[in-house]
Amino acid sequence: MRYLTFALAKGRLAEQTMELFESAGYPCEQMKEKSRKLIFVNEDLKLKFFLAKASDVPTYVEYGAADIGVVGKDTILEERRNLYEVLNLGFGSCRMAVAGPIDSKEKLNKSCNLRVATKYPNIASDYFYHKKKQTVEIIKLNGSVELAPIVGLSEVIVDIVETGSTLKENGLVVLEEICPISARMVVNRVSMKMQYERITKLIEAVKEKLG
Amino acid sequence: MKQNKLHTPEGVRDLLPEECAVKLEVQKRIETVFHRYGFYTVETPTFEYYEVFANEWGSIQPKYMYKFFDREGSILTLRADMTPPIARMAAATYTQKQMPLRLCYFGNTFRYNEKYQGKLREFTQAGVELIGVNSNDADAEVIALAVNSLLIAGITEFQIDIGQVDFFIGIIEEAGLTDQEGELLQELIDNKDYIGLEEAVEEMDIDGTLKELILDLPKLFGSMEVLQKARAKTENHKAINALEKLQNVYEILCAYGVEKYISFDLGMVTRLNYYTGIIFRGYTYGTGVSIVDGGRYDGLLGEFGQKQPAVGFAIMLNELIGAMERQQIPILSWSVDTLLVFTKNSLKQALSCGDILRSEGMYVENSLLGEDLNLNISYAEEKGIGGIVFFEDQERVKLINTVTRETIETTVNELLKQASKEDEPCGI
Repeated sequence: MRYLTFALAKGRLAEQTMELFESAGYPCEQMKEKSRKLIFVNEDLKLKFFLAKASDVPTYVEYGAADIGVVGKDTILEERRNLYEVLNLGFGSCRMAVAGPIDSKEKLNKSCNLRVATKYPNIASDYFYHKKKQTVEIIKLNGSVELAPIVGLSEVIVDIVETGSTLKENGLVVLEEICPISARMVVNRVSMKMQYERITKLIEAVKEKLG
Repeated sequence: MKQNKLHTPEGVRDLLPEECAVKLEVQKRIETVFHRYGFYTVETPTFEYYEVFANEWGSIQPKYMYKFFDREGSILTLRADMTPPIARMAAATYTQKQMPLRLCYFGNTFRYNEKYQGKLREFTQAGVELIGVNSNDADAEVIALAVNSLLIAGITEFQIDIGQVDFFIGIIEEAGLTDQEGELLQELIDNKDYIGLEEAVEEMDIDGTLKELILDLPKLFGSMEVLQKARAKTENHKAINALEKLQNVYEILCAYGVEKYISFDLGMVTRLNYYTGIIFRGYTYGTGVSIVDGGRYDGLLGEFGQKQPAVGFAIMLNELIGAMERQQIPILSWSVDTLLVFTKNSLKQALSCGDILRSEGMYVENSLLGEDLNLNISYAEEKGIGGIVFFEDQERVKLINTVTRETIETTVNELLKQASKEDEPCGI
């Protein structure tokens, strides 16, 4: 039998995923040990797991280096890879939103010189250009996006908001909601066909655990 | 800028002798099957007018095309897809009387793929177009040909997924959805985005069983049973017709004896404005993308002035060969097997013997390294040439196996006598 390979987004998401997989009958003991291994194997079920930076997970899956990936919807939307998105795992739940100081609200609706700072330029341009039909200037940042409106780099930001406490501490509020976000299971297009039975069985087992 | 001299641009690459031999070998195998089914090879230009590729049915988005101007100001495009030029050629050249037309091609296509994605921008396609007939027999013939081409290329673990765009179009019609809503559903179904589809369908006004069917569409793939499953859930004429056609094509494929490689996917709904009937894709292990893309495109030739139905497919040769390498399927092609070494005196005998060996099917390289036998042996080892024929003088010949170092002494006459008897006269 061939190995079924999983790419998981590093961190909390991967831990939650492995708990879920274990309860569904797809455990990986090697992952619980502390080691410097990059690939974790369950020889009995012929499963391989590896951890990757979230934004790389869709890439691994698109090219078939991994058959299955678990990653946030935000990354899927941003990376725009050619994948099957088959399951909402529910955890890692938050929202993609436009945020800024409260007085940016007015500008948001009329200003055509609006500057938007974000780690998600594709999601931001999709939202403003296609959904709101508004021309804006998008500034790509790589972290601490909340800083941008505070120091005057942009009027608003597009980012994920979990509880909103980081925003609040910095005097920002959610101005518009873009979409809800949570962890998703994605599958390579070819794997879905070539390993149809195994993957469907896995999806059903996980789905059952999700209730 | 100096560095540019040393490198190829992103997305294009050199093929070294070994890689090139493998590619040509696979291409040759596939071409033989194409010819055996009566498809004649054609060539179209490497660049054409932009208008050939840019149409509303647009198989390739303009941003992925390499475009430039000629001196008159017309926009030219590097061949972005093989099918439109062949449709243009067929529509302009042939008449109704000459149908059906069976054409095949081997050629490079050029697409401006995104940077840093490891995607080639110049890649080779091998494919066929069967023009002038719209029937289940034609559809099945082309699919069976795709299966046989992959088999002869050397892979055995692959699968051809068949869908029918009319099934989806019929369902959308029955549901009375707008084009925009249809497009949204198409995208969600194509991505097997179960979650997004459910949200979208909830917002649309669609009744019970139909809603259930649309929600099921991304899951309607697998063996024959999916056709029955789908049949039970629709009364739409177009959709039922599409299912019956699929059923019939499958029966013909059974007669071809290739059903083992066939499966169905009713959720295969890409490029709906291009394909007009059956649509299929081939998959194998070792590559994350499809290795065969095909389908029926009855509207395309009309764009070039002659309405003719057509069906065809393209094999992505680079992907296929990559997958074969990863599946560790050896592709044996030719290599030099004999090195001809001679002295000034024996030049005439050596050269004429060399030609005789070549005509017997051997691959013979004339040594340019002189008479030093040891030098020639180490060269042959380095290049993996199995045998050396050393013409010591006008009479005496040494046959040396460079692997075992076994040496046989013989004469020019003996050698020629043996050559006319066997294919591999030297026994090396």
